[in-house]
Amino acid sequence: MMLRAGFLTKLTMRTMLVAIALCLATAGTSVAADTAEVDRYVERFNPDIFQLDENGKPVHEMKNAFSSPASDIAQDVATNNWFNLFVFMPFLILPQILLLVVIFKFRDRGDGRKPATFMTNHKLELAWTAIPCLALVIVSVPVWELLYKMELPPTQVDTNNPDQATIVKVTGRQFAWDYEYKHENISIGTDAAGLQEPLVLVLGRTTLLNITSNDVNHAWWVPAYGVKKDAFKGRYTNTWFTPTVAGVFKGNCAELCGPGHGIMFISSVVVTADEFDVYKSLQRHRADTFKIWNQLQRGAGETASDADLKALVTKYFEKDASDGRRFALRYWIAANFASLRRKPQDRALHDDVIRTFQSKRDQLEQLIATVLSSPKPVASAE
Amino acid sequence: MEPIAPAVIAPQLEIKRYTGIMDWLTTVDHKKIGLMYFWFVVIMGLVGGAMAGAIRVQLATPGAVWEVVEAAHLNGTDVPFNLFSENRHLYNQMVTMHASIMIFFTIIPGFIAFMNYIVPIMIGARDMAFPKMNAFGFWLLIPAAILMLTSFFVQGGAAASGWTAYPPLSLQGMGTNPGQDMWVFGVHLAGVSSILAAINFIVTVTNLRAPGMTWSRLPLFAWATIFVSIIQLLATPVLAAAVTMVLMDRNFGTTFTIASQGGDPVLYQHIFWTYSHPAVYIMILPGFGAISHVFASFSRKRIFGYISMIYAIGAITLLGFMVWAHHMFSVGMPTILQAYFMYASLLIGVPTGIKVFNWLATMWGGSIRFTTSMKFACGFICLFVIGGFGGLILAMVPTDISLTDSYFVVGHFHMVLVGGSVMLLFSMTYYWWPKMSGHFLSEKAGSWVFWLMFLGVFVAFFAMHISGYAGMPRRVPVYYADFKFSNYLTTVGYFMTFIAALIFFVDLLVSYRRPKITVDDPWAINDIQQSLEWATSCPPPVYNFAVSPPIPVVEQIAHRGNNP
Repeated sequence: MMLRAGFLTKLTMRTMLVAIALCLATAGTSVAADTAEVDRYVERFNPDIFQLDENGKPVHEMKNAFSSPASDIAQDVATNNWFNLFVFMPFLILPQILLLVVIFKFRDRGDGRKPATFMTNHKLELAWTAIPCLALVIVSVPVWELLYKMELPPTQVDTNNPDQATIVKVTGRQFAWDYEYKHENISIGTDAAGLQEPLVLVLGRTTLLNITSNDVNHAWWVPAYGVKKDAFKGRYTNTWFTPTVAGVFKGNCAELCGPGHGIMFISSVVVTADEFDVYKSLQRHRADTFKIWNQLQRGAGETASDADLKALVTKYFEKDASDGRRFALRYWIAANFASLRRKPQDRALHDDVIRTFQSKRDQLEQLIATVLSSPKPVASAE
Repeated sequence: MEPIAPAVIAPQLEIKRYTGIMDWLTTVDHKKIGLMYFWFVVIMGLVGGAMAGAIRVQLATPGAVWEVVEAAHLNGTDVPFNLFSENRHLYNQMVTMHASIMIFFTIIPGFIAFMNYIVPIMIGARDMAFPKMNAFGFWLLIPAAILMLTSFFVQGGAAASGWTAYPPLSLQGMGTNPGQDMWVFGVHLAGVSSILAAINFIVTVTNLRAPGMTWSRLPLFAWATIFVSIIQLLATPVLAAAVTMVLMDRNFGTTFTIASQGGDPVLYQHIFWTYSHPAVYIMILPGFGAISHVFASFSRKRIFGYISMIYAIGAITLLGFMVWAHHMFSVGMPTILQAYFMYASLLIGVPTGIKVFNWLATMWGGSIRFTTSMKFACGFICLFVIGGFGGLILAMVPTDISLTDSYFVVGHFHMVLVGGSVMLLFSMTYYWWPKMSGHFLSEKAGSWVFWLMFLGVFVAFFAMHISGYAGMPRRVPVYYADFKFSNYLTTVGYFMTFIAALIFFVDLLVSYRRPKITVDDPWAINDIQQSLEWATSCPPPVYNFAVSPPIPVVEQIAHRGNNP
């Protein structure tokens, strides 16, 4: 229908090419191609940060502010850090060289050499007091500007404009993070399997984080962004940065917060503005998909009751049968299955999900097709 | 006046009411107390080291991180060994207790052991000013250690909120899990012990110096003792106040740190670090003083820059009180405060640098004998400079915000505490053990101890820097597979270090079977050093000196320098 166009324009050209390619590859079965596209978005918006490739290396590598900065702040921090290292380096190298010289030159070789008797040398002592002081003055100048830059975002950024700034309230709790997007009115936290969802940010859009905690102290830290802020209950801390590289970035809670501190992982995804619009649309329909999801995953062994499921799907599309909504349903079912697959604690469930995932998905896809192709129940009185 | 012969004075001074074990339990002799401190520290060091072993075994592999379990299941291989998979709470207890034991029962009392034994002799005194208080201070450590160690067996286990015990985490389990309360009492007792020792040292060095031992002739170890005691005296009550706030909040319904009722968890952090930053100097300054004697002795020279050494220690003492908030740059403090704490922290590098260069100048032009003690001293310079360099990097706020609470910080403070303080303690032990026990430690075993220790420390803690730089947070039992290699290296380094510690421990026991030293000056260094501890027998008699010893009239700054 006509709704299709409005949604698809928001997908990137590349997506469509991939979809077309997959379409051709799977001999024109458009359902399969669409499924691949759904999976691609699942991987984009909720990547598996623990995934290993065949060599046992992480698929999404850890990136840090110094060797692969992913924000303007991180870039400046890295530059500043290299400058400091350069200035400080002599104070690391010189004592080590002198130590080696002393060790090899002045060892007692039993040749009766008389040791020296000097005990002071005021000029030398003055030198090794004054030169380090000078080095401190040198490093203290450029860092001053950066310190103030890190305090607040630039004034030309209009933080009330959703196209210029993303404002997220970050709430730590034992042991996950909740994110509330202020402009977009989105709340995310943990997904269907109780795993941490990534913070999705927009490339080149200034991001402001208001950080707080529900219980004990935490610290929000994604190394590639070059920022870290503690989270306190009853207190807001703020930080900001502008993502400059698209990709997946891993992090971790950085303040001991209890037994689960080590598994309080953080992930963040930087996407383009177009992709972020898709993300927003997905989030808008999310709550409505819960019932269908619950029905679908119930009774891990059996297939869900067709009639119940059909009733739920029909109800879901009653409100709005747009392509965006259809895509959202398929996305969330796939995303929820994906996150169940990642959760290692439920081994039994895990194997079962892998076994039944495809059949359940096919079941749902057919249902969706049936519901949407059947003549609309002439609905509302208006 | 005619000197009184030792044979005359000895019977009057060597009043023994008990023998054997009761003698040790009731002694007020600073040397016996020093030795008891020493053995207490050796044992606690092994316990704390074993805890570090549990931590390192856990971290040798990424552990239960999901991808590893996942991969293992998919490939049909075994799940990797994971010590704490079922009980991450126990892991946090290990982390907390490893730190607490190493700080409160190993490094701080480790230096107090030598200060107790050596300083009164160095200044020509017969004992500490308050011998009974001295004994009391030592015996307080025993219940403190028992409280902390037995807390593993109470409901909820030991304290698991890190040695920093940040509330609100340290408030969790209030009323039901007494482990945290036992930890607080342990810290209280250790703190009282510290304060008593500090008062005693200040009074002793101020009042009991032998005639002629003027301030300008005072050995640097005694100077360092004075400054460290000042830090202990001023800072330790602050720690007691901080942990008491936690205790009160846990048990008596106060709300010092509970934000919902008007308290402030950040306030706790400020108060805690007001002690705990000066505390890091408690853990290194005595060694700074002592190591000067080691360098001078084995280079056959006198200490270079005696005056600037004293000023440097004084400057570190003063600055040490003014930089506490550099531990908490990520709490969100005003930028101008961040700038102040950054500059003040950087400034500490200057006096520390002066000391390093002075030590190098002390060795310069000398005739160096590489005894084990001297090897440890040189190893100390190498590792401490690396650790200090990490400190400079961390002082810069923008970098610190990325690195604080990461393994870089863990690497940094282990590099300065193990590469610094522990290397110093080893050096001091090898230097003074002949004096303290009357027996040499094996130089051959010592060579093994040194090289294993030096390489182990370097590998372990340098790799920690790399982990942190790559983004690994501290106090985690599991981690991303990205940090696999550097963590593996750290564990390898740990085992080298621990083997060295075990060799040292056995050698200590064996040393008692070696022939007794019969000379006063077993290292043959005192012709140049003129230090009083080498002017009495090994080990010294109970009364140290039969008469007030003659102070060698060698001004520490006698020779104006010619350029080396």
